[in-house]
Amino acid sequence: MNPIFEEIKDAIVDGDEDLAIELAEKVVAEGIDPVQAVQLGFIKGIEEVGAAWTSGEAFLPDVMMAADAMKAGMDVLEEVLAAGEGEGAYEDKGKIVLGTVEGDIHDIGKNIVGALLTSAGFKVYDIGIDQKAEDFVAKADEVGAKIIAASSLLTTTMKSQKVLVEYLDAQSLRDKYKVIIGGGPTSAKWGEDIGADGWAETADEAVELCKKLLG
Amino acid sequence: MLPKFDVLTDEQINKIHKNSLKILQEIGVEFSYDPAIEVFKKHGQRVEGHRVFLDPDFVENMVEKAPAQFTLHARNPEHNLVCGGENIIYMPGYGAPFVYDADGGKRDATMADYDNFVKLAGASKNMHMTGGTVVEPTDVEDEIRHLKMAYSHIINSDKCFMGSSSGYEHARDSIELTAVLHGGLDVIKEKPALICLVNSVTPLKYDDRMLGGLMAYAEAGQPMVIASLVMAGSTGPATLAGAMSLQNAEVLAGITLTQCINSGTPVVYGCTSAVTDMSTGSLSIGNPENALFVSASAQFARFYGVPCRGGGGLTDAKTVDAQAGYESMMTLFAASTTGVNFVMHTAGILQYYMAMSYEKFMVDDEIAGMVLRYLKGFDTESDEKMAYDVIETVGPGGHFLTQKHTRKNFKTEFFRPALSDRQSFDGWSKDSLDTNQRAKLKWQEVLANYTPPELDPAVKEKVEAFIEKRSKELLK
Repeated sequence: MNPIFEEIKDAIVDGDEDLAIELAEKVVAEGIDPVQAVQLGFIKGIEEVGAAWTSGEAFLPDVMMAADAMKAGMDVLEEVLAAGEGEGAYEDKGKIVLGTVEGDIHDIGKNIVGALLTSAGFKVYDIGIDQKAEDFVAKADEVGAKIIAASSLLTTTMKSQKVLVEYLDAQSLRDKYKVIIGGGPTSAKWGEDIGADGWAETADEAVELCKKLLG
Repeated sequence: MLPKFDVLTDEQINKIHKNSLKILQEIGVEFSYDPAIEVFKKHGQRVEGHRVFLDPDFVENMVEKAPAQFTLHARNPEHNLVCGGENIIYMPGYGAPFVYDADGGKRDATMADYDNFVKLAGASKNMHMTGGTVVEPTDVEDEIRHLKMAYSHIINSDKCFMGSSSGYEHARDSIELTAVLHGGLDVIKEKPALICLVNSVTPLKYDDRMLGGLMAYAEAGQPMVIASLVMAGSTGPATLAGAMSLQNAEVLAGITLTQCINSGTPVVYGCTSAVTDMSTGSLSIGNPENALFVSASAQFARFYGVPCRGGGGLTDAKTVDAQAGYESMMTLFAASTTGVNFVMHTAGILQYYMAMSYEKFMVDDEIAGMVLRYLKGFDTESDEKMAYDVIETVGPGGHFLTQKHTRKNFKTEFFRPALSDRQSFDGWSKDSLDTNQRAKLKWQEVLANYTPPELDPAVKEKVEAFIEKRSKELLK
């Protein structure tokens, strides 16, 4: 096995974004098999962090920095992976568009959900804060996401989650996407009331929810 | 009143103060609201887009204009409150969208819950005011929620209350409604009667909604709590000194803006900073770090010469259990003994501000009574209190139970529990009720026996007419 795979794995476990990019660039430059780099390097690293998280040994900074490093490295490899280079193929577990709804600029909870989804093997497209329904849908359409995840921290902005579901209805796109919601003041009941496909209270539960919805 | 103790040395205060000023000058604060940006420009501060870089001397000069204390006026003058100095003001929790029931159930808070919590605060001798947004009544439309909430405070109690800060328009409504209650905008400008909560969005931002509220209150000369909630480890540094510097910078920026708009506007230095639970990312408030942030904030408020808001019966527990009790006692005790003046969230909060609980309200009310007694300290003013004569009368080996001195003094010297069980085991075991169960019986009894103080029918009519008119306009 090429020793660079072990180095990539360690860079992910250490949450070293710069090193992850550097090693990914080396993979491209030296014509190393990118699929193997993903599977034996990036995925191995994030799995190790994920396992430590589950057992309570790793904490949020560990997981979030590992997810950032993974995303940065994978972005470098994106082109060669898309070109079908390497043995076999790499596929993510599903694409998810994630953002904070219109009128709300809180993003910590959303970022945690994004990191945990990434560490569970999903490809997350984080569109940021204060996002309109049409922005969620446009991104989901662009990347071929199956799940749209909308966060809200304020009782005054929760209704934007409802607007998102209504927008999908109005565009006759409701069946194309699963909509999941979360955030402090939201609840399972609110999710049901607005016709969302799922609600999760914590980031861990959001991961389980996505596995279920895409399973 | 007991002397307040410090948690920071003068040198530490100075170091953090300087750090905050450097943050304001070199990193700056983002104000999303254009009218606020105009104010800073007019006062010669450097502005780039929506980011404002504040000159340290300017900040110090502006903060100096805020009064050290002010009186908040109630419709019953007996309930007027002085905010600042040695005074402490307790009130119910603020802003929780859920109610957790005694049996462990969770539900959306309603307007009926709102009225109930206002009544419980009205009935309590330990709650000095009825607070604001005692729950989020999610069964009332957003557009008119602020009016319904204000009405509940006006009609169910004659104590002071808080108004909406949710955007300029809602803030303005709350102020005008309070003016109707007190006899005009010029009356309340002279005698402030409404206070609101303005929160930054950490790190280093203020949003449109809150800035609109801030400007409305400042223009009307009504007091505001300017507060920051740093979640150390996620929205702020994981070090207490770093998080405190960040909080302090945000609060100073907000206070500066209020004084630019209306010099001398009463403000309260607000702190709700706490830590992030690093396993879940959630806020955690029932902890020693929170107590330290709050105590340090009280000290900073003294340093800047303004009143302080912080603390409360704060817990991360989901039900009224031992955790709820010990965490709440720590956070209320720390706030109260280190000089906080305005204690939002004194009673009712469960799970880091997410829920209100009737049972928790009664537990916190009991804690509040205990802490208030503690704060009174020792009375050594008179010979009567020193009790030499009665000690002489009883002499060696006697007892004091049948002394007039005892009968006269124990009622004022001793805290009398309303909820705690002090019976023998046999006495207690007749019903074997735990605190949660006793609290449930207690709040039901208090509500059943509460009669709201009457409101002058002519004033009531005007208040209702205002609400009806605005509701029609807002729901159009």
